[in-house]
Amino acid sequence: MSIDQAQIEQALEIVGEGTRLDVLGENADLLRYAESAITAQHSERRLRVRVRITRDGRAAAGTLETLNPQAVRTLAGRLTAALTELPPLPAQAEWGEAGHSARTARAEAPVIVPAPSVLESDPAVRHRWFARVRDGLDASMTLGGAIRYDVLDRVVADSDGLFRAETLTKASIQAIAKQDGRSASVKLVHWDADRIPVDEIPGRLREALMPLPGREPHHGTCRVLLKPQAVNSLIATYGYAALGANQYATGRSVVAGRMGERVVGELLTLVDDGGDPDGLPSGFDAEGNVRRRTTLIENGMLTGVVSDQRRAGLTDGVPTGHAVPDGWRFGGDPVPSHLLLSPGESTEDELLTECGSGLVVNRLDYLRVLHPKQTLVTGTTRDATYWAEDGKLVGWHPQVRFTFRMDEVLNAVLAVGSVRERCDQTFMESVVVPSLLIDAGPLVIP
Amino acid sequence: MRDTAEIVLGLLPADVQYADVRVVRRTHEQVLVEVDGPGEVGYDDSLGLGLRVVVGGHWGFAATYRLDPQGLDAVVRQAVGQARAAGGGGKVSLGQPVTTRDTWSSPMEVDPFTVALSTKLDLLAATVKEASTAGPLVQQIEASLDFYRDEKVFANTEGALIEQTLTESGGGLMVNAGNGDDLQRRSFPQGVPRQIRGQRGDFATAGFEHVLSLGLDQEAARIGSEAVALLSAPQCPDEITTLVASGNQLAMVLHECAGHPMEADRALGTEVSLAGGTYATPERRGTFRWGSPIVSAYADATIPGALGSFGYDDEGVRAQRTQLVKDGIFLGYMSGRESAAALGAESTGAARADGWQRLPLVRMTNICLEPGDSSLAEMIADTKHGVLVDTNRGFSIDDQRMSFRFATEVGWEIRDGKVGRLLKNCSYEGVTPQFWAGLDALGGPDEWKVHGVPSCNKGEPLQVAHVGHGTVPGRFRNVQVGR
Repeated sequence: MSIDQAQIEQALEIVGEGTRLDVLGENADLLRYAESAITAQHSERRLRVRVRITRDGRAAAGTLETLNPQAVRTLAGRLTAALTELPPLPAQAEWGEAGHSARTARAEAPVIVPAPSVLESDPAVRHRWFARVRDGLDASMTLGGAIRYDVLDRVVADSDGLFRAETLTKASIQAIAKQDGRSASVKLVHWDADRIPVDEIPGRLREALMPLPGREPHHGTCRVLLKPQAVNSLIATYGYAALGANQYATGRSVVAGRMGERVVGELLTLVDDGGDPDGLPSGFDAEGNVRRRTTLIENGMLTGVVSDQRRAGLTDGVPTGHAVPDGWRFGGDPVPSHLLLSPGESTEDELLTECGSGLVVNRLDYLRVLHPKQTLVTGTTRDATYWAEDGKLVGWHPQVRFTFRMDEVLNAVLAVGSVRERCDQTFMESVVVPSLLIDAGPLVIP
Repeated sequence: MRDTAEIVLGLLPADVQYADVRVVRRTHEQVLVEVDGPGEVGYDDSLGLGLRVVVGGHWGFAATYRLDPQGLDAVVRQAVGQARAAGGGGKVSLGQPVTTRDTWSSPMEVDPFTVALSTKLDLLAATVKEASTAGPLVQQIEASLDFYRDEKVFANTEGALIEQTLTESGGGLMVNAGNGDDLQRRSFPQGVPRQIRGQRGDFATAGFEHVLSLGLDQEAARIGSEAVALLSAPQCPDEITTLVASGNQLAMVLHECAGHPMEADRALGTEVSLAGGTYATPERRGTFRWGSPIVSAYADATIPGALGSFGYDDEGVRAQRTQLVKDGIFLGYMSGRESAAALGAESTGAARADGWQRLPLVRMTNICLEPGDSSLAEMIADTKHGVLVDTNRGFSIDDQRMSFRFATEVGWEIRDGKVGRLLKNCSYEGVTPQFWAGLDALGGPDEWKVHGVPSCNKGEPLQVAHVGHGTVPGRFRNVQVGR
């Protein structure tokens, strides 16, 4: 842990009552490559000290890159002065007193054990990974992608006596192989670098670049087999758009007012669990709330949403541990952080057999929300996209732009894969999902 | 900061073939007022340095917030260690040396960091109040101002030493209206996604005068009314028709169809891990028909006040103008030193980093359309059947920057040369060269305006760039529009 508890306590004393500190020590090491050659190596060390003062319902926040007392004192002076100029809190019950931990300080956060394989990061290891993947490909293939190690030291503390600390580790490798104008990709992520099966990657890429003929695009609808990386984009975007307490309460979510009703296909059960080692565990959120396992959807029925202190009223008065950091570039509302979609019983071969004739999509890229209330999104397939006939892959299909309602797609799930993959997103810490077979109807190839 | 940069260069071991160091302090102030909440004030201050080295023909980069002697020693060790780990035997070509020694500051009339908080709050409160006059279906109003200052020192082992100060100001308004079944958003002056705070509205490399020029409080009532009216407006029909796009809307189309694909690093494959590649491959320079003969586009980092303007890029190369498309033909790229050298050219001064902690990448500056000889009024008057669209709501484009879909916050039908009914949920799709081939009219110089977009994402790790787009309204034939 690179963050000194004494410095935290000193900073809290300087700023005074109503203060919360959210402190991050970020260590990122990265190797990037393209056309089978290394293009960049990064080593980044940051300390982000987020200071939030909440007094009489007014809030002011600031960020520093230091815990130096003089810098903290200067920021505290600015924030305190700003508070006096802000308008008073409107008298609306839904705005809770964010910034105070009284309701959650007693709960124990799960202990997250960081992986030595990431803590003891060595650039030589990343070079070896790169070389093993590159050298395992056919000579006619080129390799692009990135290998990244992250160590995140976190402390959330406040002037009410809360002090939580944890160190999180993450390693990831993305490998994109190209051959004859076609591409295939693999991304593996784990909190322990030693558990990433790097040596499997060349074989997976070679297999994905299978020498099938190209075919003309299918037009209209068909069954679509979404492989885990594609399901990752779908589920993460759906969760982000629909399953936060604020979206639910303000009517911006497609599921608003439908608690207890069936909102997606009954084969789907979705939970958010920051403590599940199948994901990338984390014990508490940016307010210091313990991350509680929250069943969001059970057999297709809406059973919960995720909350922070301000929206805890929707979750039995206790936040589920999904407050986002101040200034987070993806918004200020609580959103899912660690989604896990329950596995089904179908093997990948069985899914393909049930698909019969249809599209097989490995990645859904640049999936963007066009209308949040309708869960309308648009995005494209990327890398290996195939056409299947009679349950067998028979050709490469051109990339496809899909514009669709996510709730309709999730209502058309015919089968769920038994094998899940651990994934991440820029706006979500981890997503663990299997393949999904989608019936013809909601996905239309223009 | 200058001393720190010089100290770091003095710590480099003898086997370093090239190095540059950037010491950057970024200050950010945000003021936000909501109709249903208490509002917020935020102050961010970040100071650190990034060091790039070449050892054995390989890059290493390290960044740190620790500017004490131990921190500086460590950052040198890390950067050099990264490069040495590659094992030598590589080669990095950077073209001509950069030896400039200069100081540059962006122009401004009123330093936004000296304007009283109460003045900013009053402006936003008036804006929110005006927007709320649209009635009870207005569910949410947020108005915000953001101000950035970057103080940067760049030094390299070739002798360059450049000090720059950039001040940026911007603001925006977002109104959400809902009736239980539907939710509609209107933003001003340009698309303001709720999710992204600190990047809302129209920005300029200018002072507080830019915020005052936006007219947030004057336009707020109209924006609120449009948000409410959209709830009962008819759906945009699914049809192939004539699309007239406002300059505001074309800004993002140009961004995605010309800006990103004409960044040289994409053409060289180095952005494949996240953003992808490009249709604009090197062999297509000078021959590829990107659009109709009436369209020309360029990148220009020298436009005073534009958000993508600066004195020197983050490799010390002077800001410049680069022609990207001429008379519909793709001509060339924005580049940094290494990507330019790989393409047999000199840098166009487009290498920029998102703060001290990130590696410079090729980033678009101000991507601009050359104006035409029509006007929005003439385009509408000369259109029998079509759709007029304004303000981006969301978009997606494929990894080669060809197939795209844009949704807009608002649209109007055009019938027999006149603007007709308001339409909701408008979107349109296309494939870059076909879409731009359908362009048959562009607004003239009087309608040319730079739109400052503070939210351009690229890179691994993700970097956010502040860019500008000089555009005019345009008319496109045979476009698929619809939901």
